[in-house]
Amino acid sequence: MVELKQVSVVYGEQHALRRVSLTVEKGEFVFLVGATGAGKSTLFKLLYGELRPTEGEVWVLGQPLHQIKSRELPYLRRRMGIVPQDYPLLPRKTVWENIAYGLRAIGYNESAVRQRVAQVLALVGLNEQARQMPSQLSGGEAQRAAIARAIANHPPLLIADEPTANLDPDTSWEIIELLMRINLRGATVIVSTHNRAIVDRACQRVVAMDRGQIISDVPHGGYPIELDRLHATVML
Amino acid sequence: MIDRLRFVVMETWESLTRNATMQAAAISTACIALILLGGASMALYKLDAAAQSLPSQFEANVFLKMSTTREQAMQLKTQLEAMPEIERVALTPREVAWEQEKQKLAGEVNLADLPNPLPDKLTVRVRDPAMLPAVSQRIAQSPFVEEVIDSRKELQTVLELARLVRWIGLGAGGLLLLAALILIYNTVRLTIFSRQREVRVMALLGATLRSIRLPFVLEGMTQGVVGGALAATLVLFVAALISDYFVRQWPFLKDMPPGLPPYVLMVGLPAMGALIGGLCAWWATRRHVHI
Ligand SMILES: Nc1ncnc2c1ncn2[C@@H]1O[C@H](COP(=O)(O)OP(=O)(O)OP(=O)(O)O)[C@@H](O)[C@H]1O
Ligand SMILES: [Mg+2]
Repeated sequence: MVELKQVSVVYGEQHALRRVSLTVEKGEFVFLVGATGAGKSTLFKLLYGELRPTEGEVWVLGQPLHQIKSRELPYLRRRMGIVPQDYPLLPRKTVWENIAYGLRAIGYNESAVRQRVAQVLALVGLNEQARQMPSQLSGGEAQRAAIARAIANHPPLLIADEPTANLDPDTSWEIIELLMRINLRGATVIVSTHNRAIVDRACQRVVAMDRGQIISDVPHGGYPIELDRLHATVML
Repeated sequence: MIDRLRFVVMETWESLTRNATMQAAAISTACIALILLGGASMALYKLDAAAQSLPSQFEANVFLKMSTTREQAMQLKTQLEAMPEIERVALTPREVAWEQEKQKLAGEVNLADLPNPLPDKLTVRVRDPAMLPAVSQRIAQSPFVEEVIDSRKELQTVLELARLVRWIGLGAGGLLLLAALILIYNTVRLTIFSRQREVRVMALLGATLRSIRLPFVLEGMTQGVVGGALAATLVLFVAALISDYFVRQWPFLKDMPPGLPPYVLMVGLPAMGALIGGLCAWWATRRHVHI
């Protein structure tokens, strides 16, 4: 489903990723954890083709993203649900319009749009908020709306970059539960987070990054101790 | 299909209403540029028609000296025919001219017994009316030639006017068109920047590059079309006023050949605006919209 082979990304002088290799199989639920600047968003951008690797290979849904033609990229992205870290929603559109917008942009007709928007709103529990503007939503509701839009096209792969940022523990857990529910319906899910408590509680595969490298990868782990120690060193 | 169209139109509309001042600036510059171009082409068309309709605008009458012999006349004719600017030369021998004259005046005056006062005449036809003055001047220098008569002065005036209109109208119009190009490019660029989130969201959801760029291109085309339509209306209105005024002053102008038909401007200027606006916008999206 997802495979990175010896991938490096260099911004100018700086190595954002250093020879990273990672494989995610169909149906997995993967946490990507690591301190700020570890390279989580950079890795995600590789997965949806917003960034090309300086070195190495990136395979997603059977496609070589390191050499994909930009003409083919949109069709690959239609098979991924993407929740970006910053500005996931369009500020001038209601929740309903935000989700409909994406479906219209890829050519759904109006009746299919109406039907599908209602379904995903029910799935994420935002029926009540359908007509609200993003500025009127709580952080958790906004994240759920962004997830609803990402899964509207039934993607087999869902990528969410820090959907629990700035949320209280309960709301964070609700979001993760939602993602796990989507995972149980068959989608492969990769999610990045800083939130130690939910990683511990979810008991899923955890991939930890630090300064552009993968430092641990455990199948049913909690938040890695190594990272704690690293944080401690940084603190000192 | 209908839904698709509606989506694109809505997106374009959103772009157009995003920054009213910039839109107004782009549209009015396009409008002024197209007014100049439209006005200039109308005036040029009219002047051209006027030049075409001037009598003997292609022809000069060359009257030879009485001392010139028929052989010399034939020789001059051959010489002139060899000039590249000259299309054809006809010789009217003095006897023939005299016969015609006598016939024309028959019944009024009896010319029968008078000696023939007319010289041989060459009628020279040039390929391009603009060449006539220069050609006439050269022919006049021949030792066999008494006088060259053409409609040089009238023609000169019309041609000069046409040149002036061409330079002013097309020159200034072209410059302003360039300004319009830059303004439309810039407006579309600003819209792109102000809609970066939409662009990114559409791109991440898998919209094709073409469908993301299309609304911006349509925005540029709309600016051009609106500018062009305004320009056509204004040009036609002012042209009607002006020609009304002139005809009232000089009624003989009624006999002038008709000008450019209005629909040419009504269609041409908006089409030109659309083309130019679309091209600029397309260029702006090529540089600033990526997925
Ligand atoms: N466009 C860019 N130009 C230059 N450097 C960049 C760029 N984007 C990211 N970086 C650098 O790459 C490194 C990894 O950044 P990245 O955004 O992947 O971190 P992250 O793990 O997502 O952090 P956070 O948890 O804060 O989101 C950082 O050091 C960052 O400064
Ligand atoms: Mg990040």
